Amino acid sequence: MSNEINDSLETVLVGTGALIEQLLRGEFICRVTNEDGWRALKNSSTRERVEQYLNQINRTITSAGEGEVFFCGYLQLGENERKVISSQFKDICGALIPLVEWLVLVQEASGQDAPLSEGAPIRLTELQTRIEDTPAFSEQLTKLSHYRLFGSTSNNVDGQIKLVFKRLVELGYLTKPNAEKQIYIATGKLDYLYEVIRFIDETEGLSLEAQAETATQRELI
Amino acid sequence: MNSNLHQAGVKLLKQLGRHADVIMDAYLSGSVNESTHDSGVIEKLKKSGILWRPEPDQELRLKRSVRALLEEGLSDERNRQIDSNVGSALATIKTLADHYKEARHNVDYGAAEAYLSDLSEHVYSFTDSLRYSIRVLWGRINNEFGYVGTINAKIRENELAQSQVTELLNGLEMFQFSELGEIAGDIRELRRLLITSLQETLSQCTQELSVVQGRLFELLGRFRQIQGRTRLLKGWLLHTDLHPDYQPDNHVAHNNIPNLFNCADAMLAPAHVDVTNSQHELELMQMVAQIKAISRDDKPTTIRETDVTFEMSAVEDFDVPDNPLKLAVDEYFCAVIDSGLRQSALEYLQNNQLEWDSESWLYQVIGGYEALPIEHKQYFELEPIGKPHPVYSGNFIVTDVELWLA
Repeated sequence: MSNEINDSLETVLVGTGALIEQLLRGEFICRVTNEDGWRALKNSSTRERVEQYLNQINRTITSAGEGEVFFCGYLQLGENERKVISSQFKDICGALIPLVEWLVLVQEASGQDAPLSEGAPIRLTELQTRIEDTPAFSEQLTKLSHYRLFGSTSNNVDGQIKLVFKRLVELGYLTKPNAEKQIYIATGKLDYLYEVIRFIDETEGLSLEAQAETATQRELI
Repeated sequence: MNSNLHQAGVKLLKQLGRHADVIMDAYLSGSVNESTHDSGVIEKLKKSGILWRPEPDQELRLKRSVRALLEEGLSDERNRQIDSNVGSALATIKTLADHYKEARHNVDYGAAEAYLSDLSEHVYSFTDSLRYSIRVLWGRINNEFGYVGTINAKIRENELAQSQVTELLNGLEMFQFSELGEIAGDIRELRRLLITSLQETLSQCTQELSVVQGRLFELLGRFRQIQGRTRLLKGWLLHTDLHPDYQPDNHVAHNNIPNLFNCADAMLAPAHVDVTNSQHELELMQMVAQIKAISRDDKPTTIRETDVTFEMSAVEDFDVPDNPLKLAVDEYFCAVIDSGLRQSALEYLQNNQLEWDSESWLYQVIGGYEALPIEHKQYFELEPIGKPHPVYSGNFIVTDVELWLA
């Protein structure tokens, strides 16, 4: 009996151990990247345990995307922490334009209504054929792959798109569940990205949606 | 008269069956192409009210009732027609109930029975159409308005469905069961029809409709979110195009940093050793000393570039080059045979000035003798010459051997 309790406690600890490591590596936890970890954080008791551990080293669990994405933030903000956050913010802002251009390209090239969001699959070979077949898409790809975020120097679609996807996996926006198949899945970090844009839109009063709306109406006319 | 009606109905249905191709073409394409079909057939269908021409210069279309029959029978998802006109159904039911009551009052049982069956027909078809409407709504919800392509169209379809649900619910509110109760009075058949059965169905339908409404709102919310994200992305691109030097404000400069941007740096980075730090030298040395090389796991497997097939074949002849020492010993044996004299091995070594070490020479002579086949061996005699060990008894030290012919 006591053995059973010990066992279950151990598995819980082992499980949250991996989860805490992931959080401390600065990764985003969502249903796509780590379903077990995501469930553990959705559960208030395991979340409390992870939180207690993180609090000892001035970290806390932060969530975004309506509580579907978790990442590690600072519990208290001192001078150094603010510096880190400010540099992270600059990174995010610098990545916004290339990422948005990429999202729009993928949406338009695959002819979908919805922009990519967590859990959406992308078949790289299909996308590549569509981009190669349409000069406008290839141009867009060339433009966005030369941003510093992706840093491609290649001149052909194949090299550009492979590098872009590799970088996106490194940055945590995509995962590649099967190393042998060219299928990528969007992660919850993309939903985080939408939230960042929405935040900027709302706080700065850019009314981006209204701009897009009037633009499309003008096109219709 | 009744049999006439029956015959006419059978005739109409047969006609439908006979010209099923034309009707299905019309159903699928929306109108009939008069040139591809027999004009006689078209004329007949027109006469029996299956096809009609809405405007003089328009093509022939299917009558609504036929179309509805097909839509329902085929559970066609494009069907978004919902009969939400509860008011007129209610009025008909009330009127028929009044007819029935009057006939009963006048003790005209034949008429009363006819009115009652008419009334039941109306009540049942009303509840059926209500349930059918709900089924249609669910069908549209379950495939998320998959019959239209774009998100905007889906949003419009959703809004249409919502307005239909609201209308249906408003219509159902018109049913006042106290009023129906008054009409039914104490007549058992009417009470069963108007109160028990209707009330049960209506309360079920009202409940289901409110679930439908909830799901529609949920779907609309999702569609709006998707639409919002698309617009957000487009708007962002437009904005950055219009203002190329746009930079987002520094949202993390405030005292209260929004949670969204409270993103800690990676604390666990990939580890590596700082070999340049001399203070770590001792620890590193200790660690290195403890490293056990277990190479069984990571032994590189050699991959052959091409497959080499291995075949078992007859062993080829091969020569082992003779050891020169052995050859010298053979010559020594021959010398003994030639001379026929007893000869010491060491003396022979010295006489012939051979370069071999005396001890290996002796070993080889003894070995050569022992290695002879038995029939050759018996021609020779070999005697070791030596003395017993001075200290340890039982040990005999060989200093030389002598060989002669037996």
